[in-house]
Amino acid sequence: MPNVVPLNSQTHRTLRVQAEASARYGDNQRFVPVIVGEFSLAAIHYPILLSKDAETGTFYCGVMLGFDAGENLFLADGKGHDGYRPLNLQRGPFYTAGSELAIDLDNPRVNEPDGQALFDEAGEPSSYLQSIMALMRDLRPGLERTKAFVDTLVSLKLVAPVSIDVSFDDGSRRDVTGLYTIDQEVLRGLPDATVVSLFRRGYLQLIYLMIASLKQVPVLAQRKNRRFLEGT
Amino acid sequence: MVQRIQSVVIVGGGTAGWLAAGVIAARHQARRQAGFSVTLVESPNVPIIGVGEGTWPTLRTTLEKMGVSETEFFRQCDSAFKQGAQFARWTTGADNDAYYHPLMLPQGFSQLNLVPHWLGNDRGTSFCNYVCPQGEICDAGLAPKMITTPEYRAVANYAYHLDAGKFAPFLQRHCTEKLGVRHVLADVASVNRVEEGPYAGDIRSVTTKQAGEIAGDLFVDCTGFNSLLLGKTLGVPFKDCRDILFCDAALAVQVPYETPDAPMASHTISVAQKAGWIWDIGLPTRRGVGHVYSTRHISDDEAHDIVRRYIGPQHAHLPIRKIPIRPGHRETFWKNNVVAVGLAAGFLEPLEASAIVLIELSAKLIAEQMPANREVMDFISARFNDVTSYRWGRIIDFLKLHYVLTKRTDSQFWIDNVDPATVPDRLQNLLTLWKYRSPWFFDEFDRLEEVFPAASYQYVLYGMGFRTEVEPLDNAPTESMAAKHFNENLSITRQMRQQLPKNRDLIRKIYDYGLQPV
Repeated sequence: MPNVVPLNSQTHRTLRVQAEASARYGDNQRFVPVIVGEFSLAAIHYPILLSKDAETGTFYCGVMLGFDAGENLFLADGKGHDGYRPLNLQRGPFYTAGSELAIDLDNPRVNEPDGQALFDEAGEPSSYLQSIMALMRDLRPGLERTKAFVDTLVSLKLVAPVSIDVSFDDGSRRDVTGLYTIDQEVLRGLPDATVVSLFRRGYLQLIYLMIASLKQVPVLAQRKNRRFLEGT
Repeated sequence: MVQRIQSVVIVGGGTAGWLAAGVIAARHQARRQAGFSVTLVESPNVPIIGVGEGTWPTLRTTLEKMGVSETEFFRQCDSAFKQGAQFARWTTGADNDAYYHPLMLPQGFSQLNLVPHWLGNDRGTSFCNYVCPQGEICDAGLAPKMITTPEYRAVANYAYHLDAGKFAPFLQRHCTEKLGVRHVLADVASVNRVEEGPYAGDIRSVTTKQAGEIAGDLFVDCTGFNSLLLGKTLGVPFKDCRDILFCDAALAVQVPYETPDAPMASHTISVAQKAGWIWDIGLPTRRGVGHVYSTRHISDDEAHDIVRRYIGPQHAHLPIRKIPIRPGHRETFWKNNVVAVGLAAGFLEPLEASAIVLIELSAKLIAEQMPANREVMDFISARFNDVTSYRWGRIIDFLKLHYVLTKRTDSQFWIDNVDPATVPDRLQNLLTLWKYRSPWFFDEFDRLEEVFPAASYQYVLYGMGFRTEVEPLDNAPTESMAAKHFNENLSITRQMRQQLPKNRDLIRKIYDYGLQPV
């Protein structure tokens, strides 16, 4: 159970947080939520797809990083995250509570001796903490913008299940279910006025980034195949 | 001159009227621009008889085809999941006497009949648990799907329980706002008929008190027990079937939950009584309880006592409403240019929730077979009558099956029910046949849209302890396949019990987040 408390420069003055990308600290996720602001960076590395929140059934955008549960094919021990590291991984143990920054004290990143300091001797935020604060400033409104984008996709019936069925060189197969993408048939059939409205809101670009990023699926499969060949 | 069928006039609102309007209008949306119209004339004064809070899985397809959002249907009609029915005390009347009629087909139903295998190596498991997971899912109070399952899709097959008083207005909004159905609130003062020509006797129009004359090419009679067009105007007689199904009255009561988050059953509970049975249906807001009984076997007072005892002394103040039941149906359902749907066509005790499914099936048949013109209407109506008569007959048979299999002799009602003189010939013959061969797949039931498929007969027959002779040599060739299906069912049951949420928890999530369309 997370133990989330508001961050305080007094009580948490000496706290250190491990920022490195590593499976040990929870970067080993097959599907990581992203906000629309990350789409252009994410699309050149990963498939951007939709999935359903297990608790609410609502759609959210995310990047596919692997084929099996807990598999992030962009992690290598001690080498950090290959390619763009999504904000949701970058934020580590941090949350926002209202306008305050909060921290999950039970997160394995917290209290690691070789971690990053949060405050300097004077009690001022360290450069690491400043970068987290900046990240959170992007993330919070970004989540709302992303939700509005996803709601629009759903209401226009632009969301369709995608079947990702891949065979690997070791003879195994993966049929990844529960992922969704843009229904290009429906997209082509949209009335002109709707298309213009999508364009004006910047959504059309996001839609085409999602479509283009589908080409990352075979690239991702190759990455997994290489691991089989390397025997890792 | 060929008179095209362009204007459909539905007389009467309620569940029947609005479902018929929705099904017909949705099917013929494309023809609207060519002048095709659906009008529903409804009295502002006649109250809706809220029959049938139980439905069949067909309603999912019906609503989806009408373009209704399942999420909104749950939120606005106090709808809940129904995964079949549990029948208690029907066989022996003992405390532990209960079986399920679930909505899932037996495992591997299209490949193999598991009945002889279950009979041949009875492992102390009920037939239902032997062949499908749904009984255990109901016992555990689980929902038939998850919040991530799209609208109308199922993990375990399901229908709904709903508040009929909210369902009709909900359909009305959808029909008028989305499907272009014209809604006229007016009382019908007189019915005007065609006086001469080849179609003399047809209904030309209805004259209303508030909205003048409304003409139509095809009239759908949804006027309830009144049967204003088909019964009163065209004089089609009513065929009473009280000699087969004795129950002729119901006492209905709405029972609140002890707490708003009390567990809610995801199946209909039907508990046999001295001279009838009690339904118990879980809606999110309340339980609907009703006592269906035979007035020839007990008095109204005794019937009241029985339902009062069932709901308990803490609910002694709740009002009880009496609903008369006249079991039976019209001799024909479509005559001239009038077709009856819903109570205007007939009514049977709600033992297997057949009222709404019959409305859907009739409306669908009308929508799909919509006559192009008056000239071909009589062919289509003959076909409609043939199919619909068959359906009523099979439903009567199936309801009677529940009674005829009883071993109860503790009251005259149950003794009278097994009297062969009260059992239809077809059912009588089938019961003889089933002693030597169990019903399966297509062999008895040849209609494309059989209301109750052979699987339903299996669940009731073997749930009530019916025995079919088994020849072990017959079983031998399929023994390993049967074992495979049996094990498959065990594994599906385990998996579903793990992944499915509690019934009420899912309803709450549907209120909070909604189900996704895909």
